[in-house]
Amino acid sequence: MKKFFYPSSIAVFGVADSPGNLARNIVSNCREMGFKGEIFPVGRSHGSVAGRKIITDTDALPAGIELAVILVPAAYVAETLDICGRKGISHAIISTAGFREYSGKENRFEKDVLAAVKHHGIRLIGPNCIGVICTNSGLCTPFNPLRPKRFKKGRISLVTQSGGLTVQAAHLYSEEHVGFSKVISIGNKLDLNEIDYLKYLMDDEDTEQIHLHLESIEDGRKLIDLARKTEKPIVFFKSNVSDTSAKIAKSHTAALLNDDRIVTGAFRQAGIIRVRSIHEMTVCAKALQLPPLSGDRLAVISLSGGFSVILGDACDEYGFECPSLPRELLDKIESFRRGGVIRMSNPMDFGDVHSIEGLAFAVEHCLKLDHIDGMVLALFYDPGIAKLLGQGSDNTQQLLDFLDRTMNACNKPIALSFLSERQYIEAYKKISPFPVFNDPVESVQGLRTNRNYWKAR
Amino acid sequence: MTSPKKILETATSQKRTVLSEYESKLILSAYQIPVTREFLVNTESELFRATNEIGYPLVLKGCSEDIFHKTEQNLVRVDIRNDDEAGIAFKDIMAVLNRGFSAVLVQELVKGQRELVMGMTRDRQFGASVMFGLGGIFTEILEDVAFRLAPLDKRDALEMMEEIRGRRILENIRGLGAADLDQLGEILIQVGRIGIEHDIIKEIDINPVIISEGKGIAADALIVLEPSPIES
Repeated sequence: MKKFFYPSSIAVFGVADSPGNLARNIVSNCREMGFKGEIFPVGRSHGSVAGRKIITDTDALPAGIELAVILVPAAYVAETLDICGRKGISHAIISTAGFREYSGKENRFEKDVLAAVKHHGIRLIGPNCIGVICTNSGLCTPFNPLRPKRFKKGRISLVTQSGGLTVQAAHLYSEEHVGFSKVISIGNKLDLNEIDYLKYLMDDEDTEQIHLHLESIEDGRKLIDLARKTEKPIVFFKSNVSDTSAKIAKSHTAALLNDDRIVTGAFRQAGIIRVRSIHEMTVCAKALQLPPLSGDRLAVISLSGGFSVILGDACDEYGFECPSLPRELLDKIESFRRGGVIRMSNPMDFGDVHSIEGLAFAVEHCLKLDHIDGMVLALFYDPGIAKLLGQGSDNTQQLLDFLDRTMNACNKPIALSFLSERQYIEAYKKISPFPVFNDPVESVQGLRTNRNYWKAR
Repeated sequence: MTSPKKILETATSQKRTVLSEYESKLILSAYQIPVTREFLVNTESELFRATNEIGYPLVLKGCSEDIFHKTEQNLVRVDIRNDDEAGIAFKDIMAVLNRGFSAVLVQELVKGQRELVMGMTRDRQFGASVMFGLGGIFTEILEDVAFRLAPLDKRDALEMMEEIRGRRILENIRGLGAADLDQLGEILIQVGRIGIEHDIIKEIDINPVIISEGKGIAADALIVLEPSPIES
């Protein structure tokens, strides 16, 4: 399995030196992402792509190639696999479409592919997929032109049945600065299926969180049994869950069963986190990168009265409480106030404290309290405010580093968000050593995920 | 007492895919699931022996393996309070039934204002799954149910009772007293066990499970079997 992600060299079949050719993008994507191994483009006509000569005589392919990426017409895939077999290539990604998703399960091309695979003992990803993006090895097999340099390395791996979602998730995970190790587009699952990928990722050193997006599950029982065994969080986006209950059901129980309900129940039993969008996957990714939230008691600090109220509502909705804080501590925090016009409580409106020392003091001392399990911090913030708080200098980086240290020292999560212009939020996400949520309510949702995950362990 | 295996064998040998309420409850009883006290009667003398044994008030139901929705077919008489009422109800039901395996089920009237549903079905991907939810007519109206894969452990059972929107029905509301969650959970676990131990059982519906003095008791039940393989 490892050769699908960390091959020493690859052959790309279906390459041509014409601007409309798709397979050439596989070569350039790998190049641009920094894939270190040899890449051998194979095609019918002479030419070159990304500085490499297209090989037209497959006998000229060297021995020892570890992975084939195949994007030739469906009718020629089996033939190509025969070439791989003869050359000792035991792993192949078949990007080509036009198999069962197009012509049903009984189709000649698929039969030929299966026969070739069986004959040569080749393992397959696909067909009808875009393969693998691996930030650790630089392998990037999608056939659409990408800008893989923008992909952020991280410790999340995603398995998805959709090519579109593969690319979109890679972008989103990168832009949200959660990063990823592997995104795997698994297509029709003709050979390897989610069970195989899940098993691999459970043991993969570069993967800390496993994300799955599936439209169909091949063996639900097996999946649940596996999920129960792993220490790594599993985040699951199950799509295609509209009502499928058998119309012939005789009992209420059978009539009420549908994919959505059974998935909900089974996932809870196995401690799998269920989400309903890619965006939610990134929120979970952030939440699970924070220290564990071991209870329901939060300290909430916001630099806006209105958001304090909104956050109070959100805490209530997601089953959190905001216990009152010791009077002596509140007195000390109030001594940092400028106008002395806002009373401190929990949730805490920090609009009257214009000092970064005051903010640091409050965060540290609230988070340290025995009866506080975690913190929500919504900072009304931009470079101007940063200078105001820092008596003329922008200490944002120091503040973020301090929050990170405090959070890790207490081993309690801080769910951080900024109330600011989008450009600044993006900038703060980039420099923060720990996850930044997109808005205050989302940060509370993140804490809910974190708490529920650890509670179910 | 007839064993579940025996009941299932008899039904399949008769090429039936549905067990009667009476048979269904015998299977539940074999798994320690509390069911209503009841007797199956064919004649008037059997009827009055049963009414004597159980005592009024009673419920009389037409009992046959080809009846699903008894209420809709006018085959249920509730709150029968004396011999006269029992005699009339018996005749009425027998007149409608008039079929081979049919008989009348004489059943204690369980008092309780709260009705739940519990059941088992097999999912194509996940296999035997247990359901819990609001019972009686609310099962269809609100569809307020939760599923878990069998076998269930105690935590699964408690969590699924916590999961429905109407979970407060189990609390001490309007002086009804809190339901015994351990006992209800035990029923759910046993329903799952039936599903695991008998592949031939396709679906189980226990609706309603009435909460009586805090404990759940199966007041009606239906077991559906897999169709027997086509004989070559």
